[in-house]
Amino acid sequence: MPLLEIRGLIKRFIGVTAVDRVDLAVERGELVSLIGPNGSGKTTLFNCVTGYLATDGGRVLFGGRDVTNAPSHSVARLGIARTFQQVSVFPRLSALDNLLVFLQQHQEESFLARLLRSRRLRRLETEAVERARRLLDLVGLGDRATAAAGSLSFGQRKLLAFAAALMPDPELLLLDEPAAAVNPTMINQMKQHILALHRQGKTVLLVEHNMDVVMDISQRIVVLDHGEKIAEGPPDVIRRDARVVEAYFGR
Amino acid sequence: MAADGGALLELRGVVAGYDEVEVLRGVSLAIRTGEIVCIIGANGAGKSTLLRTVFGIVPARTGAIRFAGEEIANRPPTDVLKRGVGYVPQGRCNFPAMSVEENLEMGAYLRRDAQVRRDIAASLERFPMLAAKRRDLAGTLSGGQQQILEMAIALLLRPRLLMVDEPSLGLDPRMVEIVFDTLLAINRDGTTILMVEQNAKKALSVSHRGFVLELGRNRFEGTGRELLDNPDVRHHYLGG
Amino acid sequence: MRRAAACALAAVVVSAPWLVAVVVPRQQRYVLHVLIFTAFFAALALSYDLVVGHVGSLSLAHPAFFGVGAYTAAILATRAGWPFLADVVGAALAAAAVAALVGVPLFRLTEHAFAVGTLGLAVVASIVANNWVDVTRGPLCITGIPKPVLGLSGGPALVITTLPGQYWLALVALGAVVLLYRGLTTFRLGRAFHAVRDNEPLAGAAGINALKYRLLAFTIAAALAGGVGAMYVHYLSVMCPEEMTIGLTVNLLVIVFLGGVGTLRGVLIGAVLFTALPEVLRLAPTWRLVIYGALLLLVVVRSPEGIERLLRRTTPSRVAG
Repeated sequence: MPLLEIRGLIKRFIGVTAVDRVDLAVERGELVSLIGPNGSGKTTLFNCVTGYLATDGGRVLFGGRDVTNAPSHSVARLGIARTFQQVSVFPRLSALDNLLVFLQQHQEESFLARLLRSRRLRRLETEAVERARRLLDLVGLGDRATAAAGSLSFGQRKLLAFAAALMPDPELLLLDEPAAAVNPTMINQMKQHILALHRQGKTVLLVEHNMDVVMDISQRIVVLDHGEKIAEGPPDVIRRDARVVEAYFGR
Repeated sequence: MAADGGALLELRGVVAGYDEVEVLRGVSLAIRTGEIVCIIGANGAGKSTLLRTVFGIVPARTGAIRFAGEEIANRPPTDVLKRGVGYVPQGRCNFPAMSVEENLEMGAYLRRDAQVRRDIAASLERFPMLAAKRRDLAGTLSGGQQQILEMAIALLLRPRLLMVDEPSLGLDPRMVEIVFDTLLAINRDGTTILMVEQNAKKALSVSHRGFVLELGRNRFEGTGRELLDNPDVRHHYLGG
Repeated sequence: MRRAAACALAAVVVSAPWLVAVVVPRQQRYVLHVLIFTAFFAALALSYDLVVGHVGSLSLAHPAFFGVGAYTAAILATRAGWPFLADVVGAALAAAAVAALVGVPLFRLTEHAFAVGTLGLAVVASIVANNWVDVTRGPLCITGIPKPVLGLSGGPALVITTLPGQYWLALVALGAVVLLYRGLTTFRLGRAFHAVRDNEPLAGAAGINALKYRLLAFTIAAALAGGVGAMYVHYLSVMCPEEMTIGLTVNLLVIVFLGGVGTLRGVLIGAVLFTALPEVLRLAPTWRLVIYGALLLLVVVRSPEGIERLLRRTTPSRVAG
């Protein structure tokens, strides 16, 4: 049974069908990329799957369980993490706190404990902070841990968002253009980290325009155009597919 | 540091930042008329901040910024625009609820001459993909089309220098080609171009010269080819 | 604040009644009265800041919750003979219940509609207070509310009759609110609130149910406002509809935004400044309101983010947020 299964997903806006009966299955542990021209429906698909847009038809199954139109916070708590194309951080919180927010899904501490700042609470907090610092170092933001996220550059916020998605140790990662606006050297590191996640058994579905990234790390590529799936297969096959080349690669 | 009299834009020891954070820590560069120059560097190095400082959005604390021989540091953006510096910010920056044609009209807002109508028509002719969608709302265009629209908007003020922040951001490979071709065409028509790009290899391959910034300071400088071949640059900034 | 300074300040605050007796012996009662009011307003402003500053919802409903609490306590005390502490709790619960009830539909509205919706609630509450004469006695007010009594029924009890006594009681209440405020706005709960405030879609992606957290802050804030309302009526021994007009919101907005929205220090400074100030200005009766308005303008122009921001610029900065 695939970990993520999208069956016949439909999403319409006024005058245009952004997602037109798309079927997409991702097996547990797979690393799949979703590519396609701007406006082909990739981000809309993500938004439908993760509870930001209501679907007009079709179903979404996670581990066999129907999660169609579940609200975003429920989807997150099921173990699905996502990043946003337009970078999303909490601008007034520090980089560190941005990451700590993503550990919400662990149990809430009791009210009294919070008031009295119990020892257990402090220990949990310390562990969380350590994990957050490791992730910040991973994306090269270790020295900006206390800086307000709003003061970081666009690319740095991108990296911060990537680290934040990893914080709750999700089963399925939906990454929307993680490499856009990121320095090529850091992209290499990001590629390595995604591959490491893959080796750990995590499942990754990636939207990307950076062909170096897509071709290098994907096991399978799915191509969308005008809301429809037009091709699917391993990188070698997709690279040579005429329709894909024409719609997407240009020269 | 090329500080000759032929520089169209010149920065000397510019220090700038936001509130308590200092981003540019003494940057100098010079751009000659007719060039395509790109600025590359790690995230947070100050590339976008440099463009914003030249344009007057971010205050310059010290240093000189001269355009066509005149000091423009800390002048308000409308002033900088009127002197002939165009700016296309990072990401989407147009009026999504207005049509393509209306967006172009907004681009020419500061102009009062009779040529405006003709220039808008010429703009649509030059960018056929915009002409095909002239009455569509800008927000319904794809990312790449919006990027082209934004460049067209900036060009309506007939800038001598066009500053573009991350022209290829979020665009699919085909659109990236089209956008860079457009920049080359704009340059051939006589506009000097200063761009910030993370797609460094692509940018350096079309640029006459490049500057590499690191933590707010100059690190490397050279022709596009020189930087592409420089092993240090390749390792740290081009991904090897 | 550094330890020594904090201790000194605490000492001054606690010994205020004696200091006042020494410094302004002829105005004692008046000054203490102002101080008590300041303490109440500070507590009320802190509860308001939970909603406005920490989850970022511009609610205009606070007078309603204050009023519900005040009238509940007044009625419970005068008609049902409930003891002091019980009717304070009852007041808080009543206000919380109203908040929970209206909060669910209100929070589904967009920002502006929400503000107007809460304004509507405040107006309705005010009208009810004025017109439901059978219960609230309308413009005739509920009178004869007994002084606060601390103690178990049947056992030894402490009746708070003196002004200094009322002051210290108000301080204790304020202290409790401060502790609660801090507990709610730090660590995970605080971060969750701030996440909802700063980027609701992203908060959803982090597993935070925005509606639940907004409702939580709203309800707790209402409970605190209701509790303050109860203490207020036991101090004044009278409750009239005028105490819960929407003008109260204006005062709270001034305190919170000019003091420093979302910060404990800012709101406390705002409360002290903007409650004490109009009183101090009574020295210049003709110009009082003009000067007050001018000072407000000055603060807004020079430091739009509140006085707290000014203080932060002069002290070394810590982690933002």
